[in-house]
Amino acid sequence: MRRIRQSFEEQMEKLEQRLLEMGAFVEDMLEKAVRALSEHDVELAREVIGADDTADDMDLEIEQHCMRLLALQQPMSKDLRIIGTVMKVIADVERNGDYSVDIARTAIKLADVAYFKPLVDIPKMADLVRGMLRQALDALVDHDLQLVRQVITEDEQVDQMWDRLRKEIEEIMQEHPEVVPQAASLLLVARYLERIADHTVNVAERVNYMETGELTVLAPSHGSDYDASGPQDQAGEAQ
Amino acid sequence: MVIQLPDIPPENILRPPGEIKIETKNLDMYYGNFQALKSVTIAVPSRRITALIGPSGCGKSSFLRCLNRMNDVIAEARVDGQVLLDGRDIYSDDTDVVQLRRRVGMVFQRPNPFPMSIYDNVAYGPRLHTTARGTELNEIVERSLRAAALWNEVKDKLHQSAMELSGGQQQRLCIARVLAVEPEVVLMDEPCSALDPTATFRIEELMTELMENYTIVIVTHNMYQASRVSQYTGFFLSGELIEYNRTEQIFENPADKRTDDYVRGRFG
Repeated sequence: MRRIRQSFEEQMEKLEQRLLEMGAFVEDMLEKAVRALSEHDVELAREVIGADDTADDMDLEIEQHCMRLLALQQPMSKDLRIIGTVMKVIADVERNGDYSVDIARTAIKLADVAYFKPLVDIPKMADLVRGMLRQALDALVDHDLQLVRQVITEDEQVDQMWDRLRKEIEEIMQEHPEVVPQAASLLLVARYLERIADHTVNVAERVNYMETGELTVLAPSHGSDYDASGPQDQAGEAQ
Repeated sequence: MVIQLPDIPPENILRPPGEIKIETKNLDMYYGNFQALKSVTIAVPSRRITALIGPSGCGKSSFLRCLNRMNDVIAEARVDGQVLLDGRDIYSDDTDVVQLRRRVGMVFQRPNPFPMSIYDNVAYGPRLHTTARGTELNEIVERSLRAAALWNEVKDKLHQSAMELSGGQQQRLCIARVLAVEPEVVLMDEPCSALDPTATFRIEELMTELMENYTIVIVTHNMYQASRVSQYTGFFLSGELIEYNRTEQIFENPADKRTDDYVRGRFG
């Protein structure tokens, strides 16, 4: 058997490469946004906000690449599923970039505010979430279902962290009304991180489809009990 | 001679639900010593389009030609196994081959109108098989040309030579000629390979219309055509039916790696 669609295969490899680059770019935005928040670094936060246009451009460019492959190469079987998956997951990755911008804006808002306690859990949660995003995209290009399962497991950990953090911040808000403005902002940041994890689960679910051909919800209860019990926040968004 | 039976997991060969029009069981076919088909077992559903795909020399056209015994005309061709049409073996001794080919018509790769008028091309079969003449024959010709989506283009020149029609029109005329003898099955062997894209899409649209009344089996090199028109697709390789399933399954998520390689074009 010999390779007879070499240029098409190269185009597919390039597509996956561009997706990885976009994923790394958004991961970097998230890392910087959370660092800007922790270190009160307004410049870094502005850098993240400025990077959003680039992430949006990457999203459009990859989508165009997908459309062109569909139109010109008539992909079938797994090639078709890969392209369908990439088209779908770039929306989730791009959305994660938007959440990073939201976190960067919060960093600017809180730049002059001394935190009521050192930020420990939020950076920890952000590390976990960034790792999930990297694993989900690695799962896509490496065709690795083990990584898909890992993302789903880690999402449960993120949900637990979010629940714990939320309860803790709500208690602080009740006990120390003077910190409510910054606590509310930090609560939102935690919520953004939890939403990024959910979008990353979407990516993992698509990778599972790409590999198996079966569209299945792997994490039926995205998120936590917050939607049912907690106040509506600005970060919530329809799935 | 020891015959190596193909090692195909049975679940990769779907049996479609509903009425089955044609069924082959362990069909082997030989050209002299060369085995062109190896134990092909397949159920073709009634009033659906079944596409057969595979690389050149895979046996798909040989298989198609077994379904109305077109291989009989090749001296060294030999068939073992069964081909059942409505449950009756068409290779049994009491089969009337002329009647069989009326019931199971065939459209070929290149349009092959007879060198006569459009009308006479369509009337040829009914004149041979029936007593229809005059008005009755006119009605058959009109009905067949309408069914083949050609009537409006030729109704004013029925007595002109069929050779003056375009390639796409000639192929639709050949389809009308097949339909005129009221077949139950229409076999199509690469029916669009000599046609331009517009004529191809017209034939594909026509096939979808014909599916209401006929069972269609199409052999095509163009797997995109198979994916556009058919409900079921079979993939042949080296004389074996490797996989047979609903068309979307074959093109979105085939079970066999060989099918996957072929539909993705990773096969040479």
